[in-house]
Amino acid sequence: MSVKGWCIRLAALVGALLAASVAPAAAQTINVYTAWPESLSQPIFKAYTAKTGVQINFLRLSTGELVARATAEKSNPRADVIWGAPGDGFAAAKEAGIIEPYRPPTWNLISAELKDREAYYTAVSKNTLVFMSNTKLLKEKGLKPPTSWNDLLDPAYKGQIQTADARTSGTALTRMLSIYYAFGKDEEKAFDYQKKLHKNVQVYTKSGGGCTVPVGLGQTMVCVAHMPDAMEAKKKGYDLVVTFPKEGVAAVIEAIALVKGAKHRDQATKFIDWTFSKEMQDLLDKNDVYMLPVLPGASIDTNVQSLMREAKLLPVDLDWVGKNRKRLVERWVNETIKD
Amino acid sequence: MRRPLRDPVLLPAVLLVWAAVALFVLYPLVRLLILTFWNEGPSLDAVTGLVRDWTNRSALINSLALAVLVGGAGTALGFAFALLTVRANLPGWARRAIDAVVLLPLISPPFTAAIALIFALGPRGLISYHVFGLTKVNIYGLWGTLLSETLTYFPVAYLTLKAVIANIDPNLEDSAFSLGARRWRVFRTVTLPLATPGVANAFLLVSAASLADFATPLILAGTKFPVLPTQAFLQITGLYDMRGGAALCFLLLVPALAIFIGQRQWIERRGGSFVTVTGKVGATTRVKSLSPAAVVALGLVCGLVVTLVLICYLLIAAASLVRGLGADNTLSFAHYAHVFSGGLKAVRDTLIIAVLCMPIGGLFAVVLGFLVARTQFPGRRALEFAAMMNYALPGTIVGIAYLLAFNDPPLALTGTAFILVVCYVFRYSLAGTRATTAVLAQIDPAIEEASASLGARRDVTFRRVVLPLVRPALLAGMTVLFIRAMTAISATIFLVSLDWSLVTVRILEGITNLELGQASAFSMLVIALVYLAVAVASFAMRRLNAGSLGQAGTLLGG
Repeated sequence: MSVKGWCIRLAALVGALLAASVAPAAAQTINVYTAWPESLSQPIFKAYTAKTGVQINFLRLSTGELVARATAEKSNPRADVIWGAPGDGFAAAKEAGIIEPYRPPTWNLISAELKDREAYYTAVSKNTLVFMSNTKLLKEKGLKPPTSWNDLLDPAYKGQIQTADARTSGTALTRMLSIYYAFGKDEEKAFDYQKKLHKNVQVYTKSGGGCTVPVGLGQTMVCVAHMPDAMEAKKKGYDLVVTFPKEGVAAVIEAIALVKGAKHRDQATKFIDWTFSKEMQDLLDKNDVYMLPVLPGASIDTNVQSLMREAKLLPVDLDWVGKNRKRLVERWVNETIKD
Repeated sequence: MRRPLRDPVLLPAVLLVWAAVALFVLYPLVRLLILTFWNEGPSLDAVTGLVRDWTNRSALINSLALAVLVGGAGTALGFAFALLTVRANLPGWARRAIDAVVLLPLISPPFTAAIALIFALGPRGLISYHVFGLTKVNIYGLWGTLLSETLTYFPVAYLTLKAVIANIDPNLEDSAFSLGARRWRVFRTVTLPLATPGVANAFLLVSAASLADFATPLILAGTKFPVLPTQAFLQITGLYDMRGGAALCFLLLVPALAIFIGQRQWIERRGGSFVTVTGKVGATTRVKSLSPAAVVALGLVCGLVVTLVLICYLLIAAASLVRGLGADNTLSFAHYAHVFSGGLKAVRDTLIIAVLCMPIGGLFAVVLGFLVARTQFPGRRALEFAAMMNYALPGTIVGIAYLLAFNDPPLALTGTAFILVVCYVFRYSLAGTRATTAVLAQIDPAIEEASASLGARRDVTFRRVVLPLVRPALLAGMTVLFIRAMTAISATIFLVSLDWSLVTVRILEGITNLELGQASAFSMLVIALVYLAVAVASFAMRRLNAGSLGQAGTLLGG
């Protein structure tokens, strides 16, 4: 074929594809950035669309990517709502000036440790940390599943614990806070403990749930991660035991916030109002999200609650976390993991 | 050499390419530089905190060490493979089989190789535990990262060296034999020196790839072996410190650009004494430079590597075909069903973007290559250099620079397919540019002069003489762009949008969300599509009489 023929064909193709790439904008939409996996967020978004007809476009990003991206887009925001990311991400978002305060009608019903004082962000659900252990490996070594933070220091677990890296994961921050609160808010003791724990750690994963599959497959014996990861893994058929440390774990929040300068502000606030209605809060239980609702009186009937009953949830001071997070992570990098 | 400043066609071409490079390479980087080093005045406050952190200090050294080790190991392995396929008189099917397997790590999406390696060699891995019964394997750290990166990038060295060794006329080795030299001496004094430029080129290509790779260390390096691109990623996404992360990336620019300059100089020094293709070829002789024992040794090494690669990818295939690998091993097509239902939009978007990239990037590469190789104008070197920068920087930072530069009107490109296309075009056109300059170096400028003296205008000559001659380079450049658009992730994770999603992003999502089966199914689909594209390209290449697939392969690596 002649070069000219090639060029004409290519030009026609490019033209056609470019024309196809201009997507028509739907009449009523909300753009959401979320850190929740599709399997958790999608059913909730669909329920909202079914009820109101408003389309929810969402993009799934890890918390850090989400904040970096929204920060770079600050002067011309693409998202209207940030949904389902751990509280520390929202603390960073608030500092970066990418979210604005918003109080849904039911805001006053939500207890103080679950929301930012100035209403920049509010928890939609409470998440908790768990120990998950590989049943087969425990049996091989004749060990009982760990039920205390101190159990994890047992030399039998050397090179057999995976958990998240403090620099990438909200889960890791929850772990650090849990230890801090479990040791009576004594930071020195908490760091001393982590240094000892470090000796047993095989690898720190970059995502919070990163150790779930390895523990399921027996690549490691114990994984310290969030409840939903553990329950998803069990559902997939991995043979895991889920336990809680008796000293307690920090109750962390998965929050929601309105993006500053949101293009669909009206729709976005209506959506936020709905997330704090009993209707949506009941969905957490109904959809097996394995997190606790924040609205008093919302459904907690199924297995989640029976599991959570064993957990001792320690309330977290969000202000303190916001102020100290960076310092804690830096200390972790320069003390705990430095050999 | 043409002087386009006095040429009515070439001047606009130069200006257009410069404008494109300035807008899509330099402008985003300048925006990022300002963000990093400007805080109500020039400031280094973004950097001060970083030097306090021991991981950042050791990361620079680790990155360089890793790059050198991966470069060395990858080049050695690539050399062994090239010797085996070119010099061992293997049957055609065996060579084709090796080529097909070796392509696998090169075209598979990031993370896939690292994850597969954990499955094969990690604790309770298929090979380490189920075959050898080892219970105390530690794959996390330098060794695991080195192994994974070597396996991922050695094909680049192989494809580069294959072409180089194939171009060494066996008659030269024959002459040495007839002078009484033994095999080892011939290898040491004839074959190896003639392959030196290729070896250096391969080393630099592989180490540059290792230097910019953040995905493998993210999974395998652990906390004891921090490297720079990963540190930058952690700084941005973990500590919400974009300025610090950008500063780390600019630090990485120094060794990365040093590698590129070194590579250029090697390529330029290649002329003269290394010329092996003269057109004066005697009767071809049977290659005998390898002793049977050497062939067996090479066969063993390469066989081992091929087996390891195959096991890794069979594990991925297995993960895509069972409900939950290791937990519920019943056969299930559920993951593929997901790919072809919920994942179909991502597949469609990726294909549209990859196909859009091909003509735009291909044309850009050819024009740039032509300007660099055939014309003389002020700032020619600077232009070539600037056009390379997006390739040398870690993708994370390129992505963020694009977000900063193209989010606001009048250049509000974020959220469109266009920003993804542009990002790929300016990041991965380098292979096409290099192919073009290489092809043009073999073509006598007298052909174009003949066209001109017959009265053709410059643009007519370019369209009717140059373009047909560089068609193989254009094709190769477009193939590389297609492959990269199908498999790259680091830059585009920040550029995908509510309307435009990519398969690689879905793979990453699958890996972080315990959906290993879905990630594997997406990976298998990408691998199948890329194989198809490479098959079509090599068929077209043969139709164009453009030599062997080896040439296309060389370009895949660049």
